[in-house]
Amino acid sequence: MLKERVGHATVTIRCVVNGVERTVTTVPNRTALELIREDLALTGAKEGCGTGDCGACTIIVDGRPVNGCLLLAPMLDGKTVLTVEGVARGGKLHPVQQTMVEMGGLQCGFCTPGFVVTAVNFLEHNLNPTEEEVRVAIAGNLCRCTGYSKIVDAILEAAKRMREGEGR
Amino acid sequence: MTELKVVGKALPRIDGPEKVTGRTVYAADMQLPGMLHAKVLRCPYPHALIKRIDTSKAKAYPGVVAVVTADDLPPADRDPSVRSHAVLVEREAIFEGQAVAAVAAETPYIAEEALDLIEVEYEELPAVLDPEEAIKPDAPPTRRPLDEIDVSEIEGHVTVDISTADDAEAHRRSPNISNRLHFVRGNVEKGFEEADIIVEGRFDSKMAHQAYLEPQACVAHYDATGKLTIWTPTQGQFYQRNEIARILGLPHEKINLVGTEVGGGFGAKVAPLIQPLTALLSMKTGRPVKLVLTRREDLMNSVPAPRGIVEGKIGATKDGRLTTFKARIIFDSGAFPAGTPVGATMMIAACYKFDHLDVEGIEVLTNKCGAGAYRAPGMPEVTFAIEQLVDEVCRQGGFDPIELRKKNVCREGDLMPNGRPWPKIGLYECLEALENSELWRTRHQTKNGGKPRGVGVAIGAWPGGMQPASALVKMNENGTFKVVVGSNDISGVNTSFTMIAAEELGVPMHMVTTVTADTDTAPYGGLAAGSKTLYSGGKSVQAAAQDARRQILAIASRELDANPEDLVIEDGVVFVPGTDKKITFQRIAALTMGFGSRYAPVVGRGGEVIRNQAPGTTAQAVEIELDPETGNVTVTRAAVAQDVGKAINRLSIIGQMEGGVTQCLGMGLTEELIFDERGKMRNPVFLDYRLLTALDVPRIETLIVEVPSPEGPFGARIAGEPSIIAGSAAIANALRDATGLRFYEAPMTPERVLRTLRKAGTAVSHPVVLGEAAL
Ligand code: FES
Ligand code: FES
Repeated sequence: MLKERVGHATVTIRCVVNGVERTVTTVPNRTALELIREDLALTGAKEGCGTGDCGACTIIVDGRPVNGCLLLAPMLDGKTVLTVEGVARGGKLHPVQQTMVEMGGLQCGFCTPGFVVTAVNFLEHNLNPTEEEVRVAIAGNLCRCTGYSKIVDAILEAAKRMREGEGR
Repeated sequence: MTELKVVGKALPRIDGPEKVTGRTVYAADMQLPGMLHAKVLRCPYPHALIKRIDTSKAKAYPGVVAVVTADDLPPADRDPSVRSHAVLVEREAIFEGQAVAAVAAETPYIAEEALDLIEVEYEELPAVLDPEEAIKPDAPPTRRPLDEIDVSEIEGHVTVDISTADDAEAHRRSPNISNRLHFVRGNVEKGFEEADIIVEGRFDSKMAHQAYLEPQACVAHYDATGKLTIWTPTQGQFYQRNEIARILGLPHEKINLVGTEVGGGFGAKVAPLIQPLTALLSMKTGRPVKLVLTRREDLMNSVPAPRGIVEGKIGATKDGRLTTFKARIIFDSGAFPAGTPVGATMMIAACYKFDHLDVEGIEVLTNKCGAGAYRAPGMPEVTFAIEQLVDEVCRQGGFDPIELRKKNVCREGDLMPNGRPWPKIGLYECLEALENSELWRTRHQTKNGGKPRGVGVAIGAWPGGMQPASALVKMNENGTFKVVVGSNDISGVNTSFTMIAAEELGVPMHMVTTVTADTDTAPYGGLAAGSKTLYSGGKSVQAAAQDARRQILAIASRELDANPEDLVIEDGVVFVPGTDKKITFQRIAALTMGFGSRYAPVVGRGGEVIRNQAPGTTAQAVEIELDPETGNVTVTRAAVAQDVGKAINRLSIIGQMEGGVTQCLGMGLTEELIFDERGKMRNPVFLDYRLLTALDVPRIETLIVEVPSPEGPFGARIAGEPSIIAGSAAIANALRDATGLRFYEAPMTPERVLRTLRKAGTAVSHPVVLGEAAL
């Protein structure tokens, strides 16, 4: 699907998404989120606002969480991308996913993919976080259903399990 | 009742793994072969006549397949006073952002470009914006012709007796008044004469949006046989199907509504808002069409909570008895009547045993997006008023806020404002639980030094809904079970249904799954709204499971040659205690679904009509910290007690309570749809319509109170709504505790707080954060 306004100018974007090399030819004024959801059919990341305010579209690009709705698709060229679909490995949930399910860290689930990738990335940098640090890490992700405590608890518990050797 | 094995536990949602892996399919994720994308042209004025529309250029644009305006609507029984029925502006736009035309094109980008090519000539009309102006008899009308407004339209889901007082004003009223209720008991004038403490005030709660994370979305496909299939997140698929049938003039059986996963609804996904338009585009093109609102469109075009203005006055005796209450409530519902005033007017004074009562509720229309239901509709607004008045009685009379409430709250048999007695409720018990909460017990310990701190208390009740519901419990070929319902799962209710069925069938959880089927195949289910899904639907699941159990026992008794009464079910095995006679569910399944089987397949059927409400009550406390320099209020602790009758799934109940409290803290602190003097929405974006983040919300102490309802499954009563009722009032009372001042407007944004502090001369003299203009 192409954005028409720029005429027929196209770009070819090569990136590694969830460990798989992907090549997409598209017009340059689409968002990274559109590319991922529409061209790569990875619909896990959601569009909740389109303006960088909700975090439902969070993806990890070269090890940093970004709002896919704020990034233009060509900016993914040469990058490594992790989406929620790439978090579970070999049919086994990541500890963050497991604790989110077990501890009630999700309700409607629309915000969940964003929280999962944010938390997974955060724990890669800090496996021994305080509650305050967790809250700061997820402050860019809105949830309308849970009141956050259960999400925070799930992330803290996942950190504990990972310290004890679970996960990767 | 024997000991419960499953019900009452804290269990994870059955759909959790799908959601954490991003595999759950929401409507916006859907992609159908040949699918078109829709975009909507919206009126830029809050009130305007359409003089001319020319769509020819848009229609000719490459990639555009159809452009529709109101002229394309099929003849049908549409009611212009109902929001859902106003699919496209027919002549007069009555709020900013109302749909004027829509385009279906090969890509969303083409559709969006084509919008620019639609030429519309408007004549701007004066907009009616201030509810207190709109209510005056000589106010200009929000729409014309006036006679077409059905002023009696009430779309609530609460049952009330409306005793309308016959006063002179009713005969001469504004064309914008769409509903009016009046409850009278005793003699309020006499009540105030006899009162020792009298407190009054005018309270104002602004329009708030449900702000579910998933914007409104719909996919529709009208096929060559004239069958319309709609995939959409909804809180009431049968309700939406029936409404769409009426709006588009189609027979029910020609519409199949498939409820997709709901990314949050909170009342806003009950009525069809974009579904009829999406369906119309599919009918025009014969191709599947997808319409997903942008967040901006969603904030401007859905069904927020109304603005509620309450002028209230309360009287009490010097020994702390609340005796008299008078209030006039004005709800600004925007451009369309909502059900809100009915429940709220009835409930504003319902928690207390007033001898004298005079409550008038008026709904007025203005040229803003039409209000709808938002979690316990109307209750946060009226509770913001009465709970501050009660708090002020405590302050002035020197009463403990929990003690005074315990002394005055209604219990079973006390009268509600409509004259009916309360059924069994747990309001008193909620206050007791709150009194024992960690927050309340340690409230004085944190009150030292630093910034001003305060603790506030508020209570509330929601009468609860009810509806007929039905369910099926089918045994699968391997002896497991499938529960089939027609209600949509917005709160994890399918997990609770699964627990109820497992309990009744005597099998472990993993042997049962619950599915919401589409309207073509599901047994009837009512709205997932008004907190009634578990209360009514759970009862039908229970009945269906019992029916399946009876069928299983009948088969087992013949197979084992035993009396059905002697049989016991445990863990999916039927046996006769003390003997070796036993048969597994798996074997029974084989005997009912194999070639040449002797028994019919096991299909339990349950249908229930509960005719009595099971009200939910709550008591909340918050502790706040005020920054007197910025006016910023931080909620440092919160506690909520709620009577849920029986917590079927504790994890889900706690989750709902925490979510509800978070929403009402948002209503109390930041959330408000702001309109400028011309009626244009100023903040249709999440940067400015500010939701609370993980950094704004404290840990919430949840206290589950269980005073069983006589009729709900296992004693469960309503659960979803009460937690949102009392938070904004509790914050205001905590601010009163911290500053000695009353805060009359919600949300209590830094600007408003500073303004109040300044008026009282208590603000620090050098506020640097905000410009003078804002103050
Ligand atoms: S969709 Fe990107 S931040 Fe909301
Ligand atoms: S679970 Fe619904 S928005 Fe977070």
